[in-house]
Amino acid sequence: MGNGDYAQDAAPKGRKVVAELRGVSKYFGEVCAVSDLSLSISEGEFLSFLGPSGCGKTTALRILAGFEVPTEGVVILDGDIVNSLEAHHRPVNMVFQQYALFPHMTAAQNIGYGLRQRRPRLPRAEIADKVYKTLDVVRLGGYEHRRIWEMSGGQQQRVALARAIINEPKLLLLDEPMAALDRKLRKEMQIELQDLQRQLGITFVLVTHDQEEALSMSDRICIMREGCIMQIGSPQELYDRPNSRYVAGFVGTSNFFDGILTDNKGVLGTVRVNNEMPMQASHGSDLAIGQDVCISIRPEQMKLHRQGEGLWVKVLNRIFLGEHTEYLINHETLGDFLVLSPRQAEMAESPFNPGDRALVSWEPSAALILDNK
Amino acid sequence: MTQRTRNWLLLAPAGAWFMVMLIIPLTVVFIFSFGERAPSGGVVLAFTFEQYGNLPARWAAFKNTMTLAPIGTLSALLIAYPLAYFLAVKANPKWKTILLVLVIVPFWTSILIRSYAWIFLLGGRGIPALLDVIGIEGVRLINTPFAVLVGIIYGYLPLMVFPIYVSLDKLDKRLLEASSDLGAKSWKTFLQITLPLSIPGIATGCMLVFILLMGEYLIPAMLGGGKVFFVGNALVDLFLQSRNWAYGSAVAVTLVVVMLITVTIYMRLIYRLGASREDVSIM
Amino acid sequence: MTKDINNISKKEFLEKLESYRNGSITRRHFLNVTGLGAATAVLGGTVPGLRPTPAFAGDIGDRVVLATWPNYHDVANFDAFTETTGAHVQVNVFGSNEEMLAKLQAGATGWDVYVPTNYTFEDYVKEDLIEPLDVSRLPNYDAAAFEPRYAEAGSVNGTLYGVPKNWGSTGMAINTKHNDGKAISSWKEFFDITMDKFSGRTVVHDYQLTTIGSALNYHGYSFNSVNPGELADAEKLLIAVKPHLFAITSDYQPPMRNGDAWLTICWSGDGKQLNSDIPEIHYALGSDGGEIWSDYYAIPKSSERKDAAYALINFMLDPNVNVKEVLTHGYPTADSRTYDMLPADLKNDPIIFPAQDLLSPLEFGAAVTLTDPNRAELMARFKSA
Ligand SMILES: Nc1ncnc2c1ncn2[C@@H]1O[C@H](COP(=O)(O)OP(=O)(O)O)[C@@H](O)[C@H]1O
Ligand SMILES: [Mg+2]
Repeated sequence: MGNGDYAQDAAPKGRKVVAELRGVSKYFGEVCAVSDLSLSISEGEFLSFLGPSGCGKTTALRILAGFEVPTEGVVILDGDIVNSLEAHHRPVNMVFQQYALFPHMTAAQNIGYGLRQRRPRLPRAEIADKVYKTLDVVRLGGYEHRRIWEMSGGQQQRVALARAIINEPKLLLLDEPMAALDRKLRKEMQIELQDLQRQLGITFVLVTHDQEEALSMSDRICIMREGCIMQIGSPQELYDRPNSRYVAGFVGTSNFFDGILTDNKGVLGTVRVNNEMPMQASHGSDLAIGQDVCISIRPEQMKLHRQGEGLWVKVLNRIFLGEHTEYLINHETLGDFLVLSPRQAEMAESPFNPGDRALVSWEPSAALILDNK
Repeated sequence: MTQRTRNWLLLAPAGAWFMVMLIIPLTVVFIFSFGERAPSGGVVLAFTFEQYGNLPARWAAFKNTMTLAPIGTLSALLIAYPLAYFLAVKANPKWKTILLVLVIVPFWTSILIRSYAWIFLLGGRGIPALLDVIGIEGVRLINTPFAVLVGIIYGYLPLMVFPIYVSLDKLDKRLLEASSDLGAKSWKTFLQITLPLSIPGIATGCMLVFILLMGEYLIPAMLGGGKVFFVGNALVDLFLQSRNWAYGSAVAVTLVVVMLITVTIYMRLIYRLGASREDVSIM
Repeated sequence: MTKDINNISKKEFLEKLESYRNGSITRRHFLNVTGLGAATAVLGGTVPGLRPTPAFAGDIGDRVVLATWPNYHDVANFDAFTETTGAHVQVNVFGSNEEMLAKLQAGATGWDVYVPTNYTFEDYVKEDLIEPLDVSRLPNYDAAAFEPRYAEAGSVNGTLYGVPKNWGSTGMAINTKHNDGKAISSWKEFFDITMDKFSGRTVVHDYQLTTIGSALNYHGYSFNSVNPGELADAEKLLIAVKPHLFAITSDYQPPMRNGDAWLTICWSGDGKQLNSDIPEIHYALGSDGGEIWSDYYAIPKSSERKDAAYALINFMLDPNVNVKEVLTHGYPTADSRTYDMLPADLKNDPIIFPAQDLLSPLEFGAAVTLTDPNRAELMARFKSA
């Protein structure tokens, strides 16, 4: 699925497309690393590949960089088909997973490497000038003569970044650049990277398995699973309108109730949950009557109250999270699920305690019928 | 037991080994070198510089050794590098082990046995006969410095290939991709990344081969027909034929000194070449 | 000096030995392979699986170690010895007398029987490295059966130290094809032709006795001379000849056979082999001199298995055993009992048993040459020139 709906693969309208994949697959022998990828990347955008380890993110990136030739499909860069154009001819640069800095060179030598390869040669002074400017951009001024092993992980990462951006690539590829950093540093770098991207206007393609990172940094996210693109869209779109249980589960948290689709004629369809309880929810396309589906409701879309319409449930646990309070709830048919209650709601009504009975309700439009894949 | 005593105890076996294998024999040879030849061979202890005074009689041996050892080392390097590069970088990982074993296998056989193949190949019925067929007549290869050089390259190739292979094999292949990603053509990547990062292997290989070559005697004896004479051959003759231990010891001490001087200069050069301390690990 | 001992495996040794026996490599080649640096090459005894299980454990112990020259024996005789005594024969191969003496002098032990050449006995006795022989323990030894000429070096000051094994001569082998079918027969001709039309085609030995000896003969001096003036003449000749040599090596059969070398200093046994296979290679003795030699069985003082040593020597002295030895290696015997058992064509072979008048200019190597520092140093200067 996913690729059938071409509209969602397209880049935001009105912007120039810098790179495009059309039906790209890559096999390593029998192993299919990526399968039938189609997407376009527009100038200046920040796109992320998000998915669990081994789903083919790095491979997709390496195809763009020119380190892998796709088995099937077409890679387009700047309007030209570049399937087998070698990496050193592509206007693309990469920040490698473990940075791949040259150990026998200083920070400045690493950063200037790309410029030194240019033909016709650039004047030495110009190279030096650019290197110093770039050092400042990544806030490494004064570190130019450091050897790589004399630098911390965060500093090394900045060198790797500087080494790539100094070449002003059409596309900057980043393969899990923050994976090796500790949590605090990672947060800082995320913000810095975003700033940098806006400041330079370079198109960023980021690979990550960290959904928070993808959600907070990207203009668009491409959710991958087992070599396939599941859905492409802005963080908001993916959160509000996931096209599958997989995406809903990967982007944010959700409660899922399994059932069989019994009616999908109107705006709202009906699902018989756990073979006994009919529930209404808004349904997507491509679903057939009798199909295994699930209903997905975000915990914050649910409300707990003491009176009015709703399902009777029992409160099992309550966790105060500051901005929100998280309740673990049990319903005799639906089982256990989560409800996230905002601070105002908590203030308005006295909090529920474990053991209390309560009513839970939600807007029908907040419940989505999703393919169970 | 203090930390200090424990350290000493831990070092004792290595120290003992060092004493038995190196210091004691060297000391004995050093003492002998000031002695005199006993009437029927062997040594009488004395304190004379006579043996050192006679060293010029072995000038040719030192000259041969000091020309053919560096030339042999360099030639072995030139042939070993592409081989090691192929094994470490280009070869299909599936075949790597087998190819590596193929490089080692000749090492399991005595160099003596292997040299016989070259005696045939370089002899009148081998390569010269082939050259004769294509019109190049009268080429003599066997029993020449060239034949010795061929034997040296052949015999010492694995020793050169291995350290280089190791340094190339542990080289992070992503560095090569990074270089290419930054716009370097493959040969520039080789010159700017691969080669500098394999300097430790090159340095180790050259050092190993050079030191062993300085003491070589079998290959010159076999392929040089007794006419290409190394210091090693001089030593074999002095100890096993003329039984002049005193003079033999003086030649040996001189060889060790020449070796130490050369190696020191060599190390300096390597460091000067800009290889950083972390990069170069020689033996 | 011993690193190559470990490099040549027992298996290789046996393979080499086998190919030598098949005639695919030569004696001197074999000597070089196994002898350089005194390879501890081994037959039977130390090769697992080849070790025979003795029918009974004899009084002499389970083994005897023989230090000898390569392929100087019939291996079947050793098997027969093991069968009768239960002791297996372990063979160590050496390259030269000089080397053997050097090893024993340095205190090496482990050998029970060895095969020194005539000119070494005085030194062994002087150095107290050799065991006087008790004839009563050698019933097969009949002193009267040996021609004194080839037996007398075994006694020093009236004491018997060695019993004769084989003798031979050192002459020259020439490939007559390159000399209009003509052989040469003097060391004068040998060195003159080397510096002339045989330039780059001549081989001399890689040890002092014969190489310096023939250069001395060239000038009409004694083969054994240690006279400084005469040695200086010999050195001048050798240095002048060196650029014209094909090689300085005792492994001269392969280049003679493949045509790289045309002329060489040659032992009679090798001469016989070359001549049999390539008739245009002639073996000749120098009319102006040369070496005649005799090898002996002897026991080093350091032997710890003297019973076994005596048993082995006695066994080898049995004419029935000895005749098999001669048939295998082709070197003449001084034992008339054995000689009588040889086939007629062998007895009449001019290379193996040359006429008496040809032998008369030859000299036995003198003990003094072995230890003379000037000869040793001359040889070394010649080689490193
Ligand atoms: N060079 C290769 N040879 C064989 N299989 C590979 C190769 N590169 C990647 N793969 C396989 O392709 C799949 C996707 O890998 P990758 O793109 O590295 O995933 P990710 O970056 O998402 O963790 C994995 O199953 C991996 O084992
Ligand atoms: Mg990856």
